[in-house]
Amino acid sequence: MLEVRDLHSYYGDAHVLHGTSLEVSPGEIVALLGRNGMGKTTLIRSIMGLTPPTVRSGEVKWKGETITGLKPHEIASKKIAIVPQGRRLFSSLTVTEHLTMLKSPRVKEGWTIERVFDAFKRLGERRNHRGNQLSGGERGMLAVARALMQDPELILMDEPSEGLAPVMVQRLEEVIIDLGKTGLGILLVEQNLYSALDAASRVYIMETGKVVHSGTTAALKADMSTVERWLGVHGG
Amino acid sequence: MNLFQVLNGVTFAALLFIVASGFTLIFGLLRIVNLAHGALYLLGGYFGYSIASWSGSFAIGIAGAMAGIAIFGLLLEGGLLRFVRGHELRQVLLTVGVAFVINDMALVVWGGDSFTVPIPDFLMGAVQIGPVFYPKYRVFVFGAGVLVFVLLWLLMNKTRLGVMIRAGVDDAEMVEACGINIRKIYLWTFLLGAALAGLGGVIGGAFLSLYPSADAEILVFSLAVVIIGGRGSLPGAAIGALLVGLLNSIGQVMFPELAYFVIFGPMAALLAFRPLGLFGKTA
Repeated sequence: MLEVRDLHSYYGDAHVLHGTSLEVSPGEIVALLGRNGMGKTTLIRSIMGLTPPTVRSGEVKWKGETITGLKPHEIASKKIAIVPQGRRLFSSLTVTEHLTMLKSPRVKEGWTIERVFDAFKRLGERRNHRGNQLSGGERGMLAVARALMQDPELILMDEPSEGLAPVMVQRLEEVIIDLGKTGLGILLVEQNLYSALDAASRVYIMETGKVVHSGTTAALKADMSTVERWLGVHGG
Repeated sequence: MNLFQVLNGVTFAALLFIVASGFTLIFGLLRIVNLAHGALYLLGGYFGYSIASWSGSFAIGIAGAMAGIAIFGLLLEGGLLRFVRGHELRQVLLTVGVAFVINDMALVVWGGDSFTVPIPDFLMGAVQIGPVFYPKYRVFVFGAGVLVFVLLWLLMNKTRLGVMIRAGVDDAEMVEACGINIRKIYLWTFLLGAALAGLGGVIGGAFLSLYPSADAEILVFSLAVVIIGGRGSLPGAAIGALLVGLLNSIGQVMFPELAYFVIFGPMAALLAFRPLGLFGKTA
């Protein structure tokens, strides 16, 4: 469904992605792992059409159609949503406004504000709070809910568990697994290895702008030397 | 300071709010310091003067000036500014250039004389407010300022377009990543801001009169209002306008030689403690 082929992205003259390739199928949760600064966020931004970085060669295909070079809102309207690094909620919008901005409350198809508040009870209780008045966990939930309001078929999640307490990480993991069961594809960038391994069925590992390992989660769990090599603190 | 001078300050503030609200919307969302905003004000005033004189109707003058300046703003944003998006210095230089061009063209068309937009009979004369008789027209200006504030507040808080504009002020890239065409939002906001400058031109042109340097004067006041209030904030623009309007009255009455200092001195002091203005937020 999503195919990234030999992508080369640059920040100015800095060559960050060196021919990255990966795939995500419908309903599949795929984890993208790697140490800091290896190009994971650059890859997410390149898929979403956000600049910088600039994509100089390679392509991103979505359902067989090339979407490289499209504007972010055009890519989003093809039902690809993003939960960006750092959440990036709108600090002057209430929880409700985050959701109604993307879909009129009169629309009853797909994800509605009622369905979001049903799935994330806490957000319903906080509906009149602004983006900057929420706790870390609530912020994470709202970032996911905002993506869901676009009725996506694929969500790019960039470190959704970043900065969350362990109990919230686990709650978020359950949400992600549940979403995967509804047929949604998820590309999950994670620092938190174990959370990623619980949720995902396949794993890619990136190192300096390239995919250096790909395989099933089960295989990776059985092969801790690969984990240690590419993700370990002392690895290399 | 007597009541008359306070009322003058408050009614001037209402005009400043109308002009500065458009300025702050554009500054907040598009991150453009639109130095042509004063020129749009003056051009709006001239449009209003010509249309009102020709049609004999103040209301048609206002409508015509707002529509004309909105179209002008559309051309400016869609035809010029979009090519320098993200380059602050180029945007500033471009808007300064446009301001010069508008000024010179206005001089060609309307000449260097000063004009006053004709107002309807029912706004002439005075009403008694407490111990003073006060011009009806200036009371109308105050009402117009309040009305614009209420309408803009409803737009920003009760419509999806307004919510998108506020979201764009916070994080425009994220709005785009959510599937909203931010370019359209930019265009609507610029159009609205320009129309408000045009409205201000007609309203101000009826009591401050229109002359070739009126644009620079209103621009300087608007800049002060927006800097004090904080970029992109409507309540900030309202409070900033009240402060600047009242300080301007105080300055003119008590320290005529230092009239500008009375406005910009406190502004500098405020910025020393709140660099982003009263309601300003980091980008």
